[in-house]
Amino acid sequence: MIYLRERNFNMLKKELIFRNPLRLMGHETRDILPPGGFGAVLARAGLGKTAILVQLALDSLLRDQNVLHISLADPVKKVSLWYEEVFRNIADQYDITEMNQLWEAILPYRLIMTFNIDSFSVPKLEERLTDLTEQNIFLPKMLLIDGLPFDETVTASLTALKTLAKNHSMHVWFTVRTHRHEDLGPDRIPAPLLNVADLFEVAFQLRPEEKEIHVKALKGGPSDSADHPPLLLDPSTMLIKDKKIED
Amino acid sequence: MKNDILKVRNIGISAHIDSGKTTLTERILYYTKRIHTIHDVKGKDGVGATMDSMELEKERGITITSAATFCEWQNHEINIIDTPGHVDFTIEVERSLRVLDSAVLVLCSVGGVQSQSITVDQQMKRYKVPCIAFVNKCDRSGANPFRVIRQLKEKLGHNAVTMQIPIGLEADFEGVADIVAMKAVYFDGEKGDDIRVEDIPESILPEALEKREELIDAASMFSDELMEAALEDSVTEEMLMSAIRKGTLTRALTPVFIGSAYKNKGVQPLLDGITNLMPCPSEVENRALDLDNNESELILSSEPKKPTVALAFKLEDGQYGQLTYIRVYQGNLAKGDTVINVRTGKKVKIGRLVRMHANQMEDIGKIPSGYIGALFGVDCASGDTFVAPGIRLTMTSMYVPEPVISLAIVPKDNKAEISMSRALNRFCKEDPTFKVFVSGETGDTIISGMGELHLEVYVERMRREYNAEVSTGMPRVAYRETITRQAEFNYIHKKQTGGAGQFGRVAGYIEPAADEDFVFENKVTGGSIPTQFIPACEKGFRKCLEKGPKMEFPVTGIKIVINDGHSHAVDSSEMAFQAAARGAFLEGYAKAGPVIHEPIMKVVVETPTEFQGSAMGSLNQRRGMIVSSQDEGVMCVIESQVPLAEMFGYSTVLRSLTQGKAQFTMEFATYKQVPKGIAEELVKKAAEAKKNIA
Repeated sequence: MIYLRERNFNMLKKELIFRNPLRLMGHETRDILPPGGFGAVLARAGLGKTAILVQLALDSLLRDQNVLHISLADPVKKVSLWYEEVFRNIADQYDITEMNQLWEAILPYRLIMTFNIDSFSVPKLEERLTDLTEQNIFLPKMLLIDGLPFDETVTASLTALKTLAKNHSMHVWFTVRTHRHEDLGPDRIPAPLLNVADLFEVAFQLRPEEKEIHVKALKGGPSDSADHPPLLLDPSTMLIKDKKIED
Repeated sequence: MKNDILKVRNIGISAHIDSGKTTLTERILYYTKRIHTIHDVKGKDGVGATMDSMELEKERGITITSAATFCEWQNHEINIIDTPGHVDFTIEVERSLRVLDSAVLVLCSVGGVQSQSITVDQQMKRYKVPCIAFVNKCDRSGANPFRVIRQLKEKLGHNAVTMQIPIGLEADFEGVADIVAMKAVYFDGEKGDDIRVEDIPESILPEALEKREELIDAASMFSDELMEAALEDSVTEEMLMSAIRKGTLTRALTPVFIGSAYKNKGVQPLLDGITNLMPCPSEVENRALDLDNNESELILSSEPKKPTVALAFKLEDGQYGQLTYIRVYQGNLAKGDTVINVRTGKKVKIGRLVRMHANQMEDIGKIPSGYIGALFGVDCASGDTFVAPGIRLTMTSMYVPEPVISLAIVPKDNKAEISMSRALNRFCKEDPTFKVFVSGETGDTIISGMGELHLEVYVERMRREYNAEVSTGMPRVAYRETITRQAEFNYIHKKQTGGAGQFGRVAGYIEPAADEDFVFENKVTGGSIPTQFIPACEKGFRKCLEKGPKMEFPVTGIKIVINDGHSHAVDSSEMAFQAAARGAFLEGYAKAGPVIHEPIMKVVVETPTEFQGSAMGSLNQRRGMIVSSQDEGVMCVIESQVPLAEMFGYSTVLRSLTQGKAQFTMEFATYKQVPKGIAEELVKKAAEAKKNIA
């Protein structure tokens, strides 16, 4: 009897995973990043970097994968609200009636950690992670780091994080804030990512173009083609959508 | 009682457990000639210290209730309240600091700033109570007063300045060097009665000069005169003390004294510090709310001719009736006066007034403004404001923390039950952190308090003072039953064996209902169940929800729809359809995948970051799900969801894991399905219980 209920949920989860527009970035059946891999979501302030990260997280949560969401910018309550809102929008979009039950089912796979930006360091994160893994409390497969400043000191932190990610077989997504006045480097890579681009397997940028916010692959994603139509961020739902469907 | 309010000091002695508060108070009473013999807190003579008058206190060597006394030093009257150090009895510290003007924070020179030191410091902050620190036990191995002063600065954020440096430490602790007067003080005689003042030994003179410079630097922030004098190297003792006092009164400076109360060293200079540095009642701003003026704040005056305003802060129910401890903030409270209890609006005539010395009392005619006393024969609650007729002012009460631990309590027999009831009523009245209620669901009598020791003491007092033998145990968890899928039912209730019979058929389905306890829907058409019997069907179904078929827990989250049935012209009745509904419920319920749900609590733990791993581990071990962790510098806040069934005794576990530095709060979050293993255990236990009853 319980199996029947679980089967329904599994079917529901599979459908949501299948419908996830991130699939359209060319990674159908596996994670976008390999273990130890780094991904970056770049954009100016307020364009939706955290929303993208949360959608990436929800995709993993639906696949029963543990996600550790680290925020250096927002308190726990705010991060939690992001998840609730994005999940609600997804549920509305796909007419899911058992939203609450599905939410309860995926919640155990998520852990939010917040740090003060001034006191955050990789050794500190490693200590916290060890607390979780050594006692088998939580073994994350995906790590999200939201709000890490990509300044001149970031290279050392990222190098240390790369080692940490490989050791724990996690892949890591970062938000990277860009600025209007910054010049672009070769391959149109924004300045904050230039010196550390080789550490990243995937990077994509949110670019406002007229009234739309385009999701552009800078590295590791598919090029624009008929097989991979452009992706947009819907500002009303903060969800990624397929421009082809939109049209 | 002194007429000159400037010569009055009202002080509390607060600290972590076993820092030496009661021993210090005992020495203070001895040197002020209030008592003539010293007895130890855990002494072999079994007498116990003056302020630990309760038998239980003497036996265990701990202070359980706060005790008030008074003494005289250098023509000053000092009213003292000695408080407990255990967090279990935190209400005593809370109520004392609410009504006192200043406090002595006692710190162990070895243990330094400990968990309850942090709590009492927060309490002092809450009531803006100026304090001086006393680093005690300098005779102990490992004593390091300067480390303690550093901790005062780093952990408690105090601008702490030492007023003395030790002459020797540990076994060589001989005396203290006063860096204000630049003199060495030794305590001669068997009980340290004889003070000998000499020059500071050469070996520690450079250190003394250095500390004096630091003291002058810190104090000069409060006095331009001192700052100028410091530049001209013409600082006088009076100037320096005056500046230190200014800083202390505003809580911007914390003077630190050093000593060993047990070894009779350092207490007399501390008394000098209390009289010279602590405020008198008229120097402390006390506010009340004017109920006739939109609760606007009013500053009270210590003028004796002004209308009386007083605050009851402690009750004791004894053989002579209720003894109410009271602090007068304005005016006078005299025998025969009529005052109004602002909370109840009732007029009260003041009968007998007393002044307390531990558990002894001395009759007095009045309690003037700025003093603490007690009155008999007034029925009131802790935190009640008493005012003269004609004014409606109220004082804010003390902060009462929520209980953290609960126990179920069962009296041994009927006689014990009556005594237990009386005892619980009394204890609840005296102690707002001790709560009692009867669980509507399980019928258990639950007692809640601040810790295991807290409840243990009350259970013991019940036994000793009320002859009530009780047993305690884990409170029963309020489980629920529900279903997981839809199931149909089609039940006939038939008793037609001759004479008046009963007949009713009810058909429909039962299914889970999210966010609702019970939904009943009638979809019967064509009158297959006559309309007059539909309410009876609903009644029958509702009856079944009280005790679920699976484990007799309440049933929730059920929707029942009836869509067909059958009646008999003669034998159908309300009773018949109620019975049919009950049968239909049992039939459908069994096929609907019934499960047990347990209450899940949102548990938030605040802990120093160094214990985060241990705290998370402890929650995880309790089938807890860690939701988040918020780093807040030195502390971190962990949010989790943990089954209530696993939370019993957690406060003790958390304290021992985190050296008492972590706290947690718990509130109901949701109900969730019990894991299979736990469900099987519950079924087993229920079966065993039934067997035992049979």
